[in-house]
Amino acid sequence: MLYAIIAAVAILLISAILIFNSLIRRKNDVENAFASIDVMLRKRYDLIPKIVEAVKTYMTYERELLTEITQLRIKALSQAITPEERVIIENRLGQQLTSLLVAVENYPDLKASANFLHLQGTLNEVEEQLAASRRAFNAAVTIYNNSIEVFPSNLMASMMNYKRRTLFEIPAAKREEISAKPSVNMA
Amino acid sequence: MSRYGNFREFYEKELRSDLESIDLRRKETNKKALTALLITAIAVVTELVLIPGDTNFPKAVPVIVTAFAGLVAIGIVSESYRKEYKEKIIARIAGYADEGLVYSPEGFIPKEEFIRSRIFNLSCDKYSGEDYFRGRIGKTDIEFSEVTAKHRNINGTGKNRSEDYTIILKGLFIIADFNKNFKTHTIVLPDTAEKLFGKFGQTLQSVSFGRGELIRLEDPRFEKEFCVYGEDQVEARYILTPSLMERILAYRKKWNSRVYLSFLDSKVYIAIYMYRNLFELRPFKPAADYSFLEENLRFLTLLTGIVEDLNLNTRIWTKE
Repeated sequence: MLYAIIAAVAILLISAILIFNSLIRRKNDVENAFASIDVMLRKRYDLIPKIVEAVKTYMTYERELLTEITQLRIKALSQAITPEERVIIENRLGQQLTSLLVAVENYPDLKASANFLHLQGTLNEVEEQLAASRRAFNAAVTIYNNSIEVFPSNLMASMMNYKRRTLFEIPAAKREEISAKPSVNMA
Repeated sequence: MSRYGNFREFYEKELRSDLESIDLRRKETNKKALTALLITAIAVVTELVLIPGDTNFPKAVPVIVTAFAGLVAIGIVSESYRKEYKEKIIARIAGYADEGLVYSPEGFIPKEEFIRSRIFNLSCDKYSGEDYFRGRIGKTDIEFSEVTAKHRNINGTGKNRSEDYTIILKGLFIIADFNKNFKTHTIVLPDTAEKLFGKFGQTLQSVSFGRGELIRLEDPRFEKEFCVYGEDQVEARYILTPSLMERILAYRKKWNSRVYLSFLDSKVYIAIYMYRNLFELRPFKPAADYSFLEENLRFLTLLTGIVEDLNLNTRIWTKE
């Protein structure tokens, strides 16, 4: 009887430790993924002044757009904003950068400039990396949220005071439906 | 494409006369091969009847030697038109599919590249291939060939020791330049575990056998078909964008076979299972068969089409 009790306690203890560790690991995955978004955002901040500098001599009608982009960057970098505000600013910044790239279409000289093309390539790269980081963050958050809500790890999670995290909203990607019939005979 | 309006026109003007002459050779060769087969059969039967069975001399030895010699002779005779077909016809179809496409019938993707891709975990002990194509489509370098890779199993020891081979891949192997730069390794495998075991399969998948971390992607249809491992969660998603996942799904459906992808050193390696031997002449069917040649072209354009299908010519990122 005594051995049975000892065994039961030992199993409970080991399970508790395993659950505890896995919760910690998942929380760290989420933080890690969040940090990688931050790295990409910083890359974007570094790039913005270069882009503004490269386009401003050509672009005569988009002064306001350029000023807004510069202002948004300064706001996003300031310490005095809440995370929610920052998300809003980042989203706006993303939209305005897209409009800037669209506006470039009206300036053939600018489109031909090697310096600008290089900066445009780098910006596309950063945006693509940023999208990847946000998706990685969402994947990590989904795993984390699942583990704090399912039994039995939810008991441990509530003791550790772990709360649900919210997912990043990612603009719905264009779904291209490609015709997908087998086009060869494998026999 | 080329200066011909369509493949039918190209076939009539460029291929037809050569195919007809190959057909003559093929028929002659078939006659020779048949004669050789007949002579071999007669010789084997004669040996079986004439060599006395009760001596120490094993009857099987001359029989096997004769049969073997006969088969070799048949092989040598039929080799000549097979080669001609590849050099004259397939090479020109390659040129029709894409002007820059170079074909070498005997060549194949080197074993080192096959191993480097890290698609298959089993060690590759026997490796061969044929029908190698190489070219540049738009901005993308591409090469592919038929490949057969086998793994040797050794059973028992001493006198009971025997060997057999497991097929790792029989099919096609493609290497194409990818349109983005990346540093880590990401691999996309057909998902057998999740199809068989559902949610429990996901748990099985997380045991990755040295392939890196399991990458869970958000597209459920993609997750159902494939299982992704990678060394970096972010970079794997940088490569596998929602649009590329969609394209990979469609490409797999076109082949209707098992498709493996490995992303390494800014290149994509693709393995496709296929038991059929492509770009071969059929010994007992006419060479000048339009629909057969058209099918060869269709396979070829499906292979070069990977560039279009995976959108590899779009170079809007830092990679030139």
